[in-house]
Amino acid sequence: MYAAYHFGSRRSRLIPTLLLLPGMLLYFCLSLGPSLATVVYSFTDASGLVGSPTKWLGLSNYKEFLFLGQNARDNFEVLVRTLEFSFLVTVIQTSFGLLIAVLLNQRLKATNAFRTIFFLPVILGVTIIGLMWTLFLYPLGGPVEKILGLFGAQSELLGGPPFQAFLWVIWVQIWANMGITMIIFLAGLQTIPAELIESSRIDGASGWQGFRHITYPLLMPSLNTNLTLAIIGSLQAWQLLLVMKGVTNGTQVLGLTIYAIAFGRVSNNPTGIAMRQGYGAAASVVLFVLVLIIGMTAQYLMRRRERRILG
Amino acid sequence: MNAPEQRELVSPVFPALLGAAAPRRGRGRWGVYAALVLVALIYVGPMLTVVNVALKTRQEFTLDPTSLAAGLRFENFVNAWNKANFPLYLRNTILYAVVATGLYVLTAVFVAFPISRRYVRGSGFLFSLFVIALFLPYALIPQFQLMLHLHLYNTQAGYVLLFLVNPIGIVILVNYLRSIPRDLDEAAAMDGSSYVRFVLRIIFPLIKPALASVIVLHAIGIWNEYVTPLIYLTKKSYLPITRGLMVFYGQYGNDWTTLSAAILMLMLPMMVLFLLLQRWIYAGVLQGSLRQ
Repeated sequence: MYAAYHFGSRRSRLIPTLLLLPGMLLYFCLSLGPSLATVVYSFTDASGLVGSPTKWLGLSNYKEFLFLGQNARDNFEVLVRTLEFSFLVTVIQTSFGLLIAVLLNQRLKATNAFRTIFFLPVILGVTIIGLMWTLFLYPLGGPVEKILGLFGAQSELLGGPPFQAFLWVIWVQIWANMGITMIIFLAGLQTIPAELIESSRIDGASGWQGFRHITYPLLMPSLNTNLTLAIIGSLQAWQLLLVMKGVTNGTQVLGLTIYAIAFGRVSNNPTGIAMRQGYGAAASVVLFVLVLIIGMTAQYLMRRRERRILG
Repeated sequence: MNAPEQRELVSPVFPALLGAAAPRRGRGRWGVYAALVLVALIYVGPMLTVVNVALKTRQEFTLDPTSLAAGLRFENFVNAWNKANFPLYLRNTILYAVVATGLYVLTAVFVAFPISRRYVRGSGFLFSLFVIALFLPYALIPQFQLMLHLHLYNTQAGYVLLFLVNPIGIVILVNYLRSIPRDLDEAAAMDGSSYVRFVLRIIFPLIKPALASVIVLHAIGIWNEYVTPLIYLTKKSYLPITRGLMVFYGQYGNDWTTLSAAILMLMLPMMVLFLLLQRWIYAGVLQGSLRQ
């Protein structure tokens, strides 16, 4: 319904709607519409070439992606790897961010400087971060290799076995985004009055009890926000992998596979047809369903826990 | 191990977890500092490595990539500037960022304001369309088809068009606009102000903090964007600086000294911007994470 409007009546009543249209149309045409049209494209054999005819295929893209031959087996591995990536990033980034936020929430000097340093990567973007860490992980006498050497460890880092390289990229992903988690937790911590903790101390509660029974429950909304953002963000993340490892077998996640299929950088496609956008759209829908199922399950569990803890 | 000893062992880090803003004294405080410094090293290390390598010669790097640079030498920066086509790419990035951010903010406020005031039909529904954007399927493929059929593939106008959308910006603006009192609208209307004049002259200045956040985050996003130019732009003279850097990386993948200088030149403007505008960036990230 309309709310009370003061800037004239009748025709001039339409002015807000008219001025809203450009922005709204841009959003519909470039983002929301294409997003929904992904489902339609997933039933076709659309390619990335102008003028080539597009056929309706029904479910065969899905059948090929999920069930047919070697591709489906590779895709299954990719799905599992996507879940591993998301799980490790979510758990480690959230705990790491919480720890740092609590440390920074003490009455200490220089906390602002530390906060700046930890947040910095967030604004640097995947290109800079990816190249920077590729150099930091330089296998022939680079800094990380030297440090590992001090402990007698040896590793080829990004050039080593795929799973090791994959773990390094997971770490860089966490390193890059921990600042966001930290800032959200810090904002949450600042809403908790210090007197609450201090009075619990006076009543004889230990520090751990204070955290467990006062800080942690009151931090629940920030925790839910962080978990939601981390789960969805990590399931959809793939750009850092592209910069650091390219499209290679053994380190792909679903987002990267979609890019590779749709834009013609396929290493495991025997037919060699580049830019299979219909097939890529089907993979996008699979990713969307994954995000939906995991995101909604997580939401349900978090709500339930919040009700239980806050009564 | 008996209890007091154990307590001492964990005390440096753990009490910190325990109470928000509890005053820290004595050894516990140094434990917290030690932990923070250790983590800070992991954050500063990669950046300092880039600085160090950018100051080395190629021989120095080949002999030992980690040793300290012998002195301040700036040839790598000159080389990177010339070989990597920096002036051209930089001009492109600035052009894209300025034009797209300007147009985006103008259209975004005229979307966010009437939604926050419920001046248009279905305001609540429209707002929820922006909130759910995060969860929706990846728009990449149909978006590409659209651009292809509009003949906007590999054009600068098409590239700018792609950055006129940012749902999180709308969420930030609507959340902020809700805090601006409604009485203001009525008072301005009574004084005979038109809707457009009111939004441009009264609302824009009042929502400066939110605008600052949205502008900075949007512009940073364009500056850092890597995949969009990879997909949409093939003509070399259109490339933004991130893509230019990766082209350079592809050609001179082993020339880490020049590459580091290039990375640094790309990083420094962002770092300066961040140091100056930190609070708006934090505010934007926080506002954008509230999605009700």
